[in-house]
Amino acid sequence: MMTARRRRWKAPRALTGAAIPLGLCLACSPQPSSNAEGGREVTVYVSTDRVFSEPVLREYEARSGVRVNAVYDTEETKSTGLANRMIAEMNRPQADVFWSNEPVRTLVLKSRAVLAAYRSPAADGIPEALVDPEGYWTGFSARIRVIVYNTQLVATDEAPQSVFDLTDPRWRGRVALADPRFGSTSFHVAALYEEVGDATMDEFFQALAANDVQVVDGNSVVRDLVARGEAYVGLTDTDDVNVAIEDGQPVAMILPDRDGLGVPVMPNMVSLIANAPHPQEGRALIDYLLSPDVERVLAQSEAVQLPLHPGVPGPANLPPIDSFRPMTLDYTGAAARVEEVTLRAAALLGL
Amino acid sequence: MWGSRSSRTVVIGVAVAVFVAASVLPLGYMLARFAAAESGSAAVLLDARQRTLLFNTALLGAGTALLATLIGAPLGLALARVAVPWKAALRLALAAPLALPPYVVALAWVHLTGPAGPVASALGPNVLSAWTYSLPAAILVLGLVLYPLSMLASEVAFRRIEPRLEEAGLVVAPPGRVLRRISLPLAVPSVAAAALVVFVLAVSEFGVPGLLRVRVFTTEIFTAFAALYDFGRATLLALPLLALSTLAAAVAIRLVSGQRVVSRRGTDGSQPLPLGGWERRTYVAAAFVLAIALVTPIAVLTWDAMGVSTNVFQGSRLAARNSLVLAAVGASFVTLVAVWLGYGRARVRYRLGAAIDVLCVVLFAAPSTVVGVGLIGLWNRDGVLGGVYGTDGMLLLASLARFLPVAVLLLAGAVRYVPVSHEEAAAAAGAGWWRAMTRIVLPQVGPGLLSTWIVVFVLAFGELGASILVAPPGETTLPIRTYTLVANAPPAELAALALLQSGVVLSPLALLGLGLAWRTR
Repeated sequence: MMTARRRRWKAPRALTGAAIPLGLCLACSPQPSSNAEGGREVTVYVSTDRVFSEPVLREYEARSGVRVNAVYDTEETKSTGLANRMIAEMNRPQADVFWSNEPVRTLVLKSRAVLAAYRSPAADGIPEALVDPEGYWTGFSARIRVIVYNTQLVATDEAPQSVFDLTDPRWRGRVALADPRFGSTSFHVAALYEEVGDATMDEFFQALAANDVQVVDGNSVVRDLVARGEAYVGLTDTDDVNVAIEDGQPVAMILPDRDGLGVPVMPNMVSLIANAPHPQEGRALIDYLLSPDVERVLAQSEAVQLPLHPGVPGPANLPPIDSFRPMTLDYTGAAARVEEVTLRAAALLGL
Repeated sequence: MWGSRSSRTVVIGVAVAVFVAASVLPLGYMLARFAAAESGSAAVLLDARQRTLLFNTALLGAGTALLATLIGAPLGLALARVAVPWKAALRLALAAPLALPPYVVALAWVHLTGPAGPVASALGPNVLSAWTYSLPAAILVLGLVLYPLSMLASEVAFRRIEPRLEEAGLVVAPPGRVLRRISLPLAVPSVAAAALVVFVLAVSEFGVPGLLRVRVFTTEIFTAFAALYDFGRATLLALPLLALSTLAAAVAIRLVSGQRVVSRRGTDGSQPLPLGGWERRTYVAAAFVLAIALVTPIAVLTWDAMGVSTNVFQGSRLAARNSLVLAAVGASFVTLVAVWLGYGRARVRYRLGAAIDVLCVVLFAAPSTVVGVGLIGLWNRDGVLGGVYGTDGMLLLASLARFLPVAVLLLAGAVRYVPVSHEEAAAAAGAGWWRAMTRIVLPQVGPGLLSTWIVVFVLAFGELGASILVAPPGETTLPIRTYTLVANAPPAELAALALLQSGVVLSPLALLGLGLAWRTR
């Protein structure tokens, strides 16, 4: 019969015995066993929502036989994520491709020399304004910045039609906005400053602050707040609203400023990484992502992303991209100012 | 007692080398490479707005530590001294809130108390809804999640008190006075160590304050990374946070300085000051705490998750397995290294020991993203180091970097209760250091080892900030999977994944608890 002393010692020894061999195995573990054709693989860093992007990548893996190692990103306020990872890894990149869901991260990475130029033949047909003239990024499958409203609390004909309507006193304390320093909201803010001018936008944010805007930590939180009725209206993205609509929640969306300033359009962007470990496979994946087939899939998914290739059918519950006036955007100019103007907006909002 | 040529030097030397390589170097690399390049940034640190944010952060940390201690310490005392049936199950249930992701608990709070929630519907919008998004709410949420740390540390401390001191006290004083004047002061070092850990976890927290709209200093660091992609600025902005944690550590050290730690010589279970008659009160208190800290969030999550398709769990099995294995191996490695460092810390002189405590607190308080970027910079190189980069070894390194310091603090507290005289007696009998450690010291810190392993396991399982930066492409952990899915998943799916995560992390702990209960019956 074991003595108490021997019995008590067993626990630490057991820990040691288990930890060392298991840890060594883990430390040396290669990727899980692969069915990749001829051992080919490609690594893609993806900031487009995983629930939409993962099926696309799995389909590519099945079709091509190339193993896809995907690294997904969290919502912009949950972690500092992939852009920082790519910057930190740039001396010895691990990724081959970067698939972004908004322009800011891509343009920051371009400015840091993380990206490589590649003009895909699959980009033919995509509007020139959505393709980098230098070839560092190509846009596809766009989202739109929209005004979301609660259909039980706001009548359709009373819903705001412009972002500037959000400063109307009737919405006091009932407007939700994601933190302007992060994600697609930062892009939207930079685009507005670039398009409308600093003075007007400073006044806008001052008026929003005076209207007791609720600043929350993400576009999905804006949507949830409006769906619960804690806010009546908010600014968010098309995919966020559509997920709630498909879930049966009492929300709907307005394309803001469609006859005036123009609707902010945010394409997905795909780029090749400089000094990628698998550049050939990276180019092949980019060609696939830019194909009309992928745009069709993303249009028909809950992401309701607008195809940029002509002739590809768009989402059923969104107007086609050529039926409204998109905001004329200098993506590079907006990205260059995003740091300055988002901090400015945050200060005006008291963040 | 033990000469410099003893095995002690070798073992502790190796542990120190691992500690430096794993925990110190990532932060040191970031400070040396990025922060030093930031010139003219002193104005950033003195910004009036940021001083306000830092003050909010200090309030959040202090309030959370206080609340967690007020809840956890009495429960720890009850678990140590009250003869309640099914104690193992009660302990596990009371520790379970630690497994709930804080962000998800905050979400449950918002759903419950918000202007559109059931409390507002039942009691009106002005009862709790005004407090839904507030600093007190953030303190409440974090306190309810983190009190198990205080509880576990307190129970270990109260079990280790030398019974003859209490016996002597009972000769001249009633039990209540003995408890106040003898037992509680002797438990202060462990309770203070746990409070410090809770403080650091609270001031490092970003998700909960963000959701509850509390402006904290960690947002500045996050902004520097996520909005500005400025590593230097982010690292530099971490310094005030580290300074705050250092100040908290200094306060805690001051509180316990001069406290005598007198531990039991035997290891039998007799307790001269059992809290007889407190069984019912213990269960009432435990039921109250569990109702608020565990049952309510789980009920809200379950309600939200109702009707969710089981498809949401597809693909989660591999992530759950990865998380379990990596957290278990990580906790084992951390505990294996920390026990020697904790022993060394417990046996050094006061001033050196205080310096080690401060260093551990600073390292523990380092923002996870700073640590993650530091790990990439150190390991993503050609050669042997690069061979580890891109493997699961990086996730283990992240666990070591993040949690080895806190494990050292916790185990130092446990070793402190083992009298040096035990080792002296072993040395006098001709035993070497290794033999004295394995036959005398380690068996006495068994409960401390186990509670440290559990704490590190839970923390490692839920770690996100550094893991998402170093996880090998193509592999994932359950928290990474959860947070990469919920960006555009319906609330029901978030609730379902949060329940899955909590269940997965609790299951091995439940098995462990059952196993221990069976062995000691």
